[in-house]
Amino acid sequence: MASVFLGINDRTFTYESTAARAEHVGAGVRYPIDFAITQDDIAYILNRGREDRPDGTRLTVFKLGEDGEEYISTFGSHGEDPGQFIWPMCIALDKDTNVYVTDEWLNRITKYNKDGEYISHWGTHGFRDGEIDRPAGIAIGQDDTLYIVDSRNNRVQKFDLDGKFLGKFGSAGSADGQFNLPWGMCLGGEDNVFVADWRNDRVQSFTSDGKWLASFGTPGTGGDTTNARVKGGITYSDAPVGQFNRPTGVCVDQDGDIYVADWLNNRVQVLTPEGRFITEFTGDGHLSNMGIAKLRSNPDMIKQRNGIQNFTPERVLWAPCAVRIARNNRVIIADTTRHRFQIYRKNAEPVLV
Amino acid sequence: MATTSSKSTETTESIDLMAHLMRRAGFGADRDDLERRAAKGYEATVEELLNPEGARADRELFLRYHPGFRRPVTSPGMGGSAWLYDMMHTELPLEEKMVLFWHQIFATGQSKVDHWHELIAQVDMFREMGMGNYRDMLVALAQNPAMIYWLDNCDNHETGVNENWGRELLELFSMGVGNYSEEDVYECSRAFTGWTIATVPPRNYYSRFDWSFEYQDEDHDYGEKTFLGETGDFNGEDIIDIICRQPATAEFIARHLYNFFVADEPQVPAWSVTPPRDPEAIDLLAKTFTESNYDIRSVLRVLFLSDFFKNARYTKIKSPAEVVVGTLRLVGQDKLPPPGIGDMSKQAGYMGQELLNPPSVEGWHTGVEWINSGSLMKRINFVADMLGDTSKPGVKRIVDRLQAQGNLGPEEMVDRCLELVGPVKAGAATLQQLVEHATQSGELTWDTEKDTAESTAKVGELLQLIASVKEFQYC
Repeated sequence: MASVFLGINDRTFTYESTAARAEHVGAGVRYPIDFAITQDDIAYILNRGREDRPDGTRLTVFKLGEDGEEYISTFGSHGEDPGQFIWPMCIALDKDTNVYVTDEWLNRITKYNKDGEYISHWGTHGFRDGEIDRPAGIAIGQDDTLYIVDSRNNRVQKFDLDGKFLGKFGSAGSADGQFNLPWGMCLGGEDNVFVADWRNDRVQSFTSDGKWLASFGTPGTGGDTTNARVKGGITYSDAPVGQFNRPTGVCVDQDGDIYVADWLNNRVQVLTPEGRFITEFTGDGHLSNMGIAKLRSNPDMIKQRNGIQNFTPERVLWAPCAVRIARNNRVIIADTTRHRFQIYRKNAEPVLV
Repeated sequence: MATTSSKSTETTESIDLMAHLMRRAGFGADRDDLERRAAKGYEATVEELLNPEGARADRELFLRYHPGFRRPVTSPGMGGSAWLYDMMHTELPLEEKMVLFWHQIFATGQSKVDHWHELIAQVDMFREMGMGNYRDMLVALAQNPAMIYWLDNCDNHETGVNENWGRELLELFSMGVGNYSEEDVYECSRAFTGWTIATVPPRNYYSRFDWSFEYQDEDHDYGEKTFLGETGDFNGEDIIDIICRQPATAEFIARHLYNFFVADEPQVPAWSVTPPRDPEAIDLLAKTFTESNYDIRSVLRVLFLSDFFKNARYTKIKSPAEVVVGTLRLVGQDKLPPPGIGDMSKQAGYMGQELLNPPSVEGWHTGVEWINSGSLMKRINFVADMLGDTSKPGVKRIVDRLQAQGNLGPEEMVDRCLELVGPVKAGAATLQQLVEHATQSGELTWDTEKDTAESTAKVGELLQLIASVKEFQYC
């Protein structure tokens, strides 16, 4: 189990801003389940939406810059035709900013160009080499190897960018190197593979060849559950750091620090490359620029907010699914159930804590 | 031969009784499950249902594939999807059936609450407490945010009493009409002043925020109150203690349990003027309720072991929720929830029981009132669509069992199919119609692939026909 990091901490973070707002159509997001961001802050956002509002299941493109968010475009839609998806899950970009999306229901990977034009899709449902069963996390290595979390087969598979099978690793279970319905993934230095091992409540890392390196975190919600609250069938408690409750997303920054979307603990945890706990983000959300614009056009909303003393419920993360690193050490969290992004910055100077 | 025949009759009876128990205390069971339970024994099965060790449906798994149901806001019907998933996949059928029972009594609806998440939180509370202590559950109910909003207790102030919650607590949740005065309603309501919902930011473009119970001491009426003949500085819990001590409460809850699990009673508003159909049964259940210090599990044990329960087979009309969930469990579903569960959760509503959205605080009118020409067609079409789909795992198991018995003539085919989807006890006229259909379609043979395919299709057609007979609507 990770221990709390004490002493001179050269890894401190500052809340920067909140971006986007809930919209099924147009300039907004709805259940943003994953996203990928370019070096010039263009974010391709995968909106899972709700099945009774299939128009909310789509990709939206935003600029998530330091000076605020800007909606650019929408592409992809709900359906089974080429270029459509039913359950879009995770997203990755290649060197040419082509966009790759996994679809858990259709068991396929769909490729678009950077402007959102459909290029191709591939994927065969099954359990044999090269077949997939509910593909989730996706990442592309420096050598253009495509890694996919093959969730129901409890493994990671490697393909080339056209879907040719290259290799696999992992199996079902809870031992080192095994998985239980894994979800998100990312690549670190030397293309080491980090996987959010969802039902084992941990993150595991591997070499690009699939050699197991480490496991971070312990299973269970942890903590003193006597004061836990049950809401929507889920038990929430203040879990100790280093413990995960169904981690969904993971990313690694240039220092090798690991960020984990700790889904049901409603937070993002930050770990050193060795797995020691650094800090957690539980949320500091404020009104985004797009949110303020919405309020301005709806005076009834402003009126309803008058007199509210405690805005904590509006600040906190709610079941975040993904976290990514953008340029200038910006940490961007998909606050999935609040339909927005919370953005932090990793400080450059050491701070005594 | 006589011994074999006697044993066979005994087995049929034990399966039939077990099927009755599982229809009432759960959502039915397939033949494999019935045989397993019958081998275990009736009393042991009752005890297993009362103190289950299996697993609830995996809500986290549901939300992984349907994250949109975490905050389903105002979408009609969609908010019930999580609960439908719970009912379809729980290994604790009685626990889930009790959720349905309490939802019928403590009926709270989306039409006013407009917050699915809070309604789901309420049924989750029923799941946690539904077989436990009734007094504790009433306290939890009084503090449940959805209920507080539903019955306006957030508008019940020291300076201005709102009687809605206080009235329904007495009329529909505990004692029934005729057992209290208008003054009691007012005094009861005074005791619940200050029981409200904590203020949260209003719903906005980041969706909604959870409600939580808050006791506002400064808004509570600490004056002396006289309630049901007792006087004191009563707060809400004191009132609930007094309510639980009333014989009328024991009889009211006993009658509800009888109506839900044993046989249809008149609608609740008629209870004050219409005696129970089985007063001795109500007395027994009420006595157990009181002597066990309001322990619902104890009352259920007495009920399921009683002769009046065992003899009440095929006397109740299935509720829409029982039709939908029972059918889905029978035909089998992947535990990983597929797309379309939102539409599935609306089906009971099409038949007249929109879960989490009852027509009023009185709940649904049950029994024969479930049936009208429209709702009957919805029932038949839904079940026929499901049972006619021979690709579904539960239907495949039925076909496999039939195939294992070799070639079957029309009468055997009808007999076995009725047995495997229930058993369903068909009357002579129904039997004749089913056999006529089976005769026209021809016997079941399995000698070649073509025979098997044709026989499988015949079974599907016959199961669809069975779904349409009157007897199928009873449990």
